[in-house]
Amino acid sequence: MPSHHHRPESEVALRVKAIESLLVEKGIVDLAALDAIIDTYEHKVGPHIGAQIVAKAWVDPEFKKRLLADGTGAISELGFTGFSSEHMVVVENTPEVHNLIVCTLCSCYPWAILGLPPTWYKSFAYRSRAVIEPRKVLQEFGLEIPEQVEVRVWDSNADLRYLVLPERPDGAEGWSEEDLATLVTRNAMIGAAKVQPPAAADSLVA
Amino acid sequence: MTAQDARVLLAKGLSCQVDSNLPAKFQVGDHVKAKVIHPKTYTRLPRYIRGKVGTIVKDHGVYVFPDTMGQRLSTKPQHVYSVRFTAQELWGLDASPKDSLYIDLFDDHLEAL
Repeated sequence: MPSHHHRPESEVALRVKAIESLLVEKGIVDLAALDAIIDTYEHKVGPHIGAQIVAKAWVDPEFKKRLLADGTGAISELGFTGFSSEHMVVVENTPEVHNLIVCTLCSCYPWAILGLPPTWYKSFAYRSRAVIEPRKVLQEFGLEIPEQVEVRVWDSNADLRYLVLPERPDGAEGWSEEDLATLVTRNAMIGAAKVQPPAAADSLVA
Repeated sequence: MTAQDARVLLAKGLSCQVDSNLPAKFQVGDHVKAKVIHPKTYTRLPRYIRGKVGTIVKDHGVYVFPDTMGQRLSTKPQHVYSVRFTAQELWGLDASPKDSLYIDLFDDHLEAL
C-alpha cells in the first residue's frame, strides 16, 4: 500500500481544529495555555509517577500504611498532587483481593498520577462490562482471577480518584525503589494487569 | 486562562471538598438504599445502583454536589460515602458471591433502611 499519500484528516481531528480556531479567534482560549496543558500530559505527567508511588510503598511499610489510610496525604508527601487527583484513594491488591478501577459515568481517572486515560478505559464496552462482568473483562486482559479471590470493582463516579497498589512480584528481592518502579505498568495500577516478575529472574531461578 | 493559570491549575488541582461540620446522615456500617429517581438533569447516581441496598464503608467528608452544580444551582455541600454493594445484589445470583462493587455516593442519593 502506498504510504506517502496524505490521508484526509479524520472527522474528529477536523472538528477539534475547527473548534480550536474558533475559541482562539474569539479570545476564549489562549494558545499558550493550551500548549502548556498539552506539554504537561505529553512530557511531564504519566504512569511513571504512579510507578514511583507504588515502588515506594513496596519498600517503605510506613509509607504504605499512610498511603492506604490517606492516599491524598501520602501522595502529596511526594509532591505528586494535581488536577484530577485532588482526592486520592489507594486500594491494595493481595492474594485474597483483586481491585479494578472504572468510571461508568465518563472516564474519571487520576490524571496527575497516571496521565491521560487509555482509549479502552473510556470505551462504552469497558465502562459497562467492568461493573457487570469484571472477571470476564480481566480474562480478556489475560488475567485469570481464581474463584476464591474476591474481586472489588471501584466506580469512581464522584470526585475521588483511585489507584491500585499492585502486588510486588517475586524475583525482585533487594531491588532499589528506582528499579522496582520500572516494573510497574499503567494497567497494573488500574487493576487490569499484575506486575510481572522481571524477565531476568527466570534464568536466575533456573 | 493564561499559560501560567493553566500550569497552576494542573499542579494544584481543583478541590471539590468543603470545610464543613455538616453532620453526616449515615455512619459506617449502616445499610442504605440508593434512591430510585430518574432526573432528566445531571446526576452522579448511576441507574444500575438505583433501588439497590448497600453498606456504608467510609465517610469521605463533605463535597460540593455535582447534581445541582450541573444545573448551575447551589453547591449544596454534603457527605460523600464509599458504599459497598455485593455483585449479587446488583446483578443477581449469576454473579460471584465473592465479588462486590464500591461506589462514592452523596447524602442526597441515599435513604436509610
